[in-house]
Amino acid sequence: MTQNIAQILAGIAAGPFLGGLISGLDRILTARLQARIGPPVLQPFFDVMKLLSKEKMAVNVWQAFCAYCYLVATAISLVLFFLQSDLLLILFTQAVGAVFLVVGALSSTSPYSQVGAHRELLQILTYEPLLVLVVVGIYLETGSFKISAVFNWHEPLLLKLPFLFLALGYALTIKLRKSPFDLSTSHHAHQELVKGLLTDYSGPFLALIEVGHWYEIMLILGLCSLFWATSWFGVIMLVSITYMLELIIDNVSARMNWRWMLGYVWAMGLTLSLVNLIWLYQG
Amino acid sequence: MTVEMLNAEQISAILIISPFLAALVCYLIRVSAARSFVVLITGGVLIISAVLLIPLTPFSLSPPPFLGINIHVIVQTLDVLLLLIILYFGFKYRHIVIKALALLQIILLLYCEFFLIQNKQDNSTLYCDHLTLVMVLIISIVGAIICFQAIPYMKIHEAHWSPVKSRQHRFFLVMMMFLGAMNGLVLSNDLMIFYFFFELTTLCSFLLIGHDKTKLAIENALRALWMNSLGGALFIAAIVIIYPITGTLALQQILTPANTGAKMFMLAMALLCVAAFTKSAQFPFQSWLLGAMVAPTPVSALLHSSTMVKVGVYFILRLAPAIKATFLSQSLAIFGAFGFLAAAALAVGQSNGKKVLAYSTISNLGLIFACAGLNTSESVMAAMLLIVFHAMIKALLFLCVGAIEQRIDSRDIEDMRGLYANMPLTALITVMGVIMMIMPPFGVLLSKWMAMEAAASNLYVIFMIALGSALTVMYWARWAGTLMSDPFAGRFRPEYQPLLTWTALGSLCTGAGLLSISAPWFYIKIIAPVMSGPYFPPYTVRDGILENSFGVFAVFPLSVVAVAGFVLSVWALKRASGARIVAPYLGGAQTTEPGKFKGPMNQTIKAEARNYYLSSIFGEKKLTTWINLGAGVLLTLLLGGTL
Repeated sequence: MTQNIAQILAGIAAGPFLGGLISGLDRILTARLQARIGPPVLQPFFDVMKLLSKEKMAVNVWQAFCAYCYLVATAISLVLFFLQSDLLLILFTQAVGAVFLVVGALSSTSPYSQVGAHRELLQILTYEPLLVLVVVGIYLETGSFKISAVFNWHEPLLLKLPFLFLALGYALTIKLRKSPFDLSTSHHAHQELVKGLLTDYSGPFLALIEVGHWYEIMLILGLCSLFWATSWFGVIMLVSITYMLELIIDNVSARMNWRWMLGYVWAMGLTLSLVNLIWLYQG
Repeated sequence: MTVEMLNAEQISAILIISPFLAALVCYLIRVSAARSFVVLITGGVLIISAVLLIPLTPFSLSPPPFLGINIHVIVQTLDVLLLLIILYFGFKYRHIVIKALALLQIILLLYCEFFLIQNKQDNSTLYCDHLTLVMVLIISIVGAIICFQAIPYMKIHEAHWSPVKSRQHRFFLVMMMFLGAMNGLVLSNDLMIFYFFFELTTLCSFLLIGHDKTKLAIENALRALWMNSLGGALFIAAIVIIYPITGTLALQQILTPANTGAKMFMLAMALLCVAAFTKSAQFPFQSWLLGAMVAPTPVSALLHSSTMVKVGVYFILRLAPAIKATFLSQSLAIFGAFGFLAAAALAVGQSNGKKVLAYSTISNLGLIFACAGLNTSESVMAAMLLIVFHAMIKALLFLCVGAIEQRIDSRDIEDMRGLYANMPLTALITVMGVIMMIMPPFGVLLSKWMAMEAAASNLYVIFMIALGSALTVMYWARWAGTLMSDPFAGRFRPEYQPLLTWTALGSLCTGAGLLSISAPWFYIKIIAPVMSGPYFPPYTVRDGILENSFGVFAVFPLSVVAVAGFVLSVWALKRASGARIVAPYLGGAQTTEPGKFKGPMNQTIKAEARNYYLSSIFGEKKLTTWINLGAGVLLTLLLGGTL
């Protein structure tokens, strides 16, 4: 029981603290890749605090409600991860957050929000099957959907699921809102959709979404960490290298359109997943 | 006579016969108030009887002769009569296929009756286990609620839309008759009697689809009739094959392992599968269900989402133990998963609300078929839960769309933009229905979770389910967002609807929610007893958490957290209503008019956005031919594999 409570608290805390920190590191490293110095590592926290102190403004109350639901759902999914619960259940809970974010954006009549929301839906459509297939691969290898089984597994999953890890990389890039998949919104308001589905979220409500996004980052990185769950050293190395690659990809690629995303990621990601799964079924 | 004294035989009789009596009264007494009264009373009686059936399950019995005549003889006579009626419609509308199929069925039926079947006494006619019980509960409770809502619905429908003069007596005749037919169908253990009710539901469906007598309605009703008659013909053909092998038509005896080894037996099973596909509108037979959407919405809710189309999956679940670990079962799983994926893809391309619901129904039925085909304890349980929750929530959504359509005169999702301003409560209930379709901890997702964990050991099936569920999220989320879009009209004030409409919507919505929360206990009480024979109860329940060796779904704790999260969000919302409401950003300087902005050259421009329907990828014109072709190939595989 005490252990469970500790896990729950760790899950709730990990999003805002670790997620924010990673976000800060992300900004510094991105800046260095672009020959800039970049903000201090705590800048994301300052941003969120500033947003929280602003006047509450919303285009309608339903959108505000959706912002809260997004935060709650993403937090629950990370808590479930820390409780070492069922992987599919975690994916479903994470999808609840994603859907509320979209529904909130659709409730505004702004064409930017609307188009951004639809692009986000296409992004969900693109990465969801990959995540499910990754989880199926983990099940085929360990015989269980529970994360606890992964941590008890005798060897790193990466050795048996290398292609599924690559497929997870596509999902990670989309989830982190990195180029070439930053269609629905990006960290900078420089795209043709202003800020996409976040256009009409502002002030404290935008802060909620920012924190929710940290939870999501933590969750996806958590999924990555499962691929070398035999040692802490392995987890940290794998996640760091993966994230560094994400940053490089983000900086060397241009934003593409949704047709390309859906076609390319499904073709590549699903093929990689299938090859790896067939290999597992045969093995 | 007190309620406690009713035995299984009497309750079965009430469940089957009282709707027929009510149907007769509805037809004969053409007074609106009397008809409403009869419908309400019958609905109440059905609900109570279905609940009383719970402690009596399981049982099997043979009713005594009626007026000295064997029940089988009566049913077979009625069956011939029924086919003659269908033949009559074939002649009336000059439909060659309907005529041919009706004649074929009459010939096969008479052959069975006079030459094939010697022994008409040997079997228990009615059989009720927990699978039957689940169906009876759905038919009697959800069915009754839909009929309640039909009372105000049909009044408005007739006043505004129906081009002919009052045909409500006929409408309720068929609706009531249908409820009796469905109860009879799920309770019967004799294949011949099952077949009779199977055909009777086909006839009811035909009559109700054609209710409005428009050209389109009649055309679609005829399509439904011939496709379902094809199913009937396959069914009776299967009977002709089975009887010589088994020497009995009692389903429980047919499904014993002694028979399953016989060579032709699997062919008969495959034919029954295809018959089930026609009834459940799987590809390539889906077009009748889409056409059926011309019917008044209570019909779509009752026949075409919650009960009649469930006959196919119910019957396959009955047969499932007999085909466990066969090629037929495997190809059934793949066929079902294909239907799930294909229908979800087509739903993405639709902006017509009722069509989205229809495709979603086909999709969910496909998933249930896939679960039946996977044929493990987990998957069969997933199938049963999905039948229950889908019936409730899809009925709810259909009734919502019906109420919306009567108000805004459209069933197009684009026209439902900003519905919250006009119909706040209906819009909220609809959104709640959508949420219950796609989100944990609600029942549909619980069953989908089980289905996916069960399907993970079959590459083809899990691959299609993974793609299909992503598409599912897409079309539902889009709809929910559209319903709740701007403009918002200040304070929340529920709109006017007839009391019976609110009763129906409210009871289905809260019922589905409560049943979701109590799913673990529902599982222990109702579902686990089904898991006999080759199956075993696959999950243990502790503190409202469902768990087995490889998966865990904390239904009750998550429900508590979800409720807490919801309360928190509503509380936050109350506080947020102090937030300043500002106009959305439209791409230029705002004007005082909502939705307009100052564009280039200082012109006022109205900002407009529509949903993505991606018809270049997911449009019916693009996909339907290919999907039908694919389904045809899979059907050939399924049939050919048994030879």
